[in-house]
Amino acid sequence: MSENDKFYVERCLDGHPDDFRYLVRRYQGVLLANLAGKLGSRDRAEEAAQEALIRAYFNMGKLRKPDSFFSWLLGIADNVAKEHQRKEQIQRQREIVRSFSEESAGTELSQDYALESAIAELPEAYRKVILLRYYGGHNCNQIAEQLDMPLGTVTKTLSRAYAMLRESLQQQKQAEVYEV
Amino acid sequence: MNCEESKELLVAYFEGLLEDSEQQAVEEHLKDCSSCQAELQELKGLHDRLVTNGKALAQSNLEKDVMNQVIREQNVRLKATTRATEALKIRRTIMRSPMTKIAVAAVIIVAALGINSIMAPSVTWAQVIEPILNARTIVFDLILGSDDSGMVQHEIFVGSRIKRTMSNMPNMTMIIDTDNEKLLALDTDAKTAVYADIAGELGDRHRSFIKFVRQIIGQLQDGQVEELGEKVIDGQKAIGFTGKGQNEKVTIWADPETALPIRIEAQMGQEFSFIMKNFEFDAAVDESLMSMEVPDGYTLQETNIDLGNASEEDFVKSLRIWAEIIGDGTFPEAIGTQSAMAQMPVLIQKVTAMQVSEEKGTEIGMSFAKGMLFHQTLESQGQWKYTGAGVKLGDAGKAIFWYQPQGSATYRVIYGDLSVKDVAAENLPK
Repeated sequence: MSENDKFYVERCLDGHPDDFRYLVRRYQGVLLANLAGKLGSRDRAEEAAQEALIRAYFNMGKLRKPDSFFSWLLGIADNVAKEHQRKEQIQRQREIVRSFSEESAGTELSQDYALESAIAELPEAYRKVILLRYYGGHNCNQIAEQLDMPLGTVTKTLSRAYAMLRESLQQQKQAEVYEV
Repeated sequence: MNCEESKELLVAYFEGLLEDSEQQAVEEHLKDCSSCQAELQELKGLHDRLVTNGKALAQSNLEKDVMNQVIREQNVRLKATTRATEALKIRRTIMRSPMTKIAVAAVIIVAALGINSIMAPSVTWAQVIEPILNARTIVFDLILGSDDSGMVQHEIFVGSRIKRTMSNMPNMTMIIDTDNEKLLALDTDAKTAVYADIAGELGDRHRSFIKFVRQIIGQLQDGQVEELGEKVIDGQKAIGFTGKGQNEKVTIWADPETALPIRIEAQMGQEFSFIMKNFEFDAAVDESLMSMEVPDGYTLQETNIDLGNASEEDFVKSLRIWAEIIGDGTFPEAIGTQSAMAQMPVLIQKVTAMQVSEEKGTEIGMSFAKGMLFHQTLESQGQWKYTGAGVKLGDAGKAIFWYQPQGSATYRVIYGDLSVKDVAAENLPK
């Protein structure tokens, strides 16, 4: 990890839009993981991640604490996801009305959709730690610094997140069994 | 350690977050506990799943799309004026700004044209020069080079103020205050404004073509003026005079009845020439258009333009820009003020496409301008030759330029790799 988020945020604000790319590089994986579970397909996640990043760029002036760029970005992504879900719902309802089809044409699911949707359901504090650790390439010390919490708390949060993910994945599996 | 304690530490265990003593205790427990071993396997399975999925997602590349969209969107925002103000609140995030600043560089190159040779002041010649010397306002078109060079600069000259627009950069307007040695550049598309200080060494030169012509005329001595007779110019009968100085020549074609100039051709040094035409003398000019205030709705940008003391080093830098950025690796057909002005839009376009920062863009523009200012000093005083047409940047075997510094017995030769050597006259490249 080279410069911290604050450095790049301030570069952007000082008229170096090009430096935004470093933040894009740093958080694209995190955003996709966060969004894929919510939106159900890789394509939709990419679209929403792009939108979130662009919104973040043009609203950077409103970011009060450049240190908290990540949390702020994640908040934007969650909003974008909600908007997309709403739009999709409306669209799907229309499609159902129109064609009586059971499902809209199969969307291409992400590689591990079960996992992604389990992550999407995690409460925010746990979601952030999982996202940063496995999708943002942070080690636990970096997470502690980024989220401003003691290392011990990161460890506990991570353990608890594992437990929740397991539970959620297990439930999904059972649901599938019943469906079949 | 019991199973409950162990299970709680397993994630921290394989993440390597435990202290040595805890790590050992967990290992000890695992040796004999099949239930915890199974638990560990399962957690590791989830860990691997996370890592695999993380890697898969990290391979996606949003960077290009996002950056393109950011830049496109930013331009759209800048064009819609009302929204532009909002976008500008993000302090100085303006893609178009290098444009304004580079264009300032361009205008300074032209503005700084001057003659350094000193001649004794002398008599004026006849009535034809009277309006040039005394008119309070003069409106005219100026063409760098010859009539077919295609770039027309429209200039309004009022006392100490000049307003200048250029046909190849239609969105740029410059207002120059020669008394206070300040220049205001306005980008009418981006609604941005830049002030430049043109004092210092540049202040010794002339910033108006009118003043330039006035000075040449003022320096001509008796016997240096020659009558050329009559000819028809643009359908109009004209009588011509040529005045020659050491290093410059001015030809004035005037209406034989009114004695008002119709066309002025000026030549300076070996390669620099310009034509002035479509004159209007003492025309009524709305002086509010010549204001040095930033107009309403424009955003003022900061610059620190330092164009004093241009050196050979600056010239070499500008040659690099010429080859690397403008010529995609090849040196141009010709260099000099006229070519520099003609290539300015290309430079702006390429620098914008490079998506460099505003700072960097300005720096490139200024380096280019400064190098050209150095070249201008050669135009008026020294011997030089450009031989770089078509030479590839990096070709150490080919000379691209040579000149003789004032008072030097040897010549300076610049090669395709931009190295510079002192060379005796007899060894000069052809």
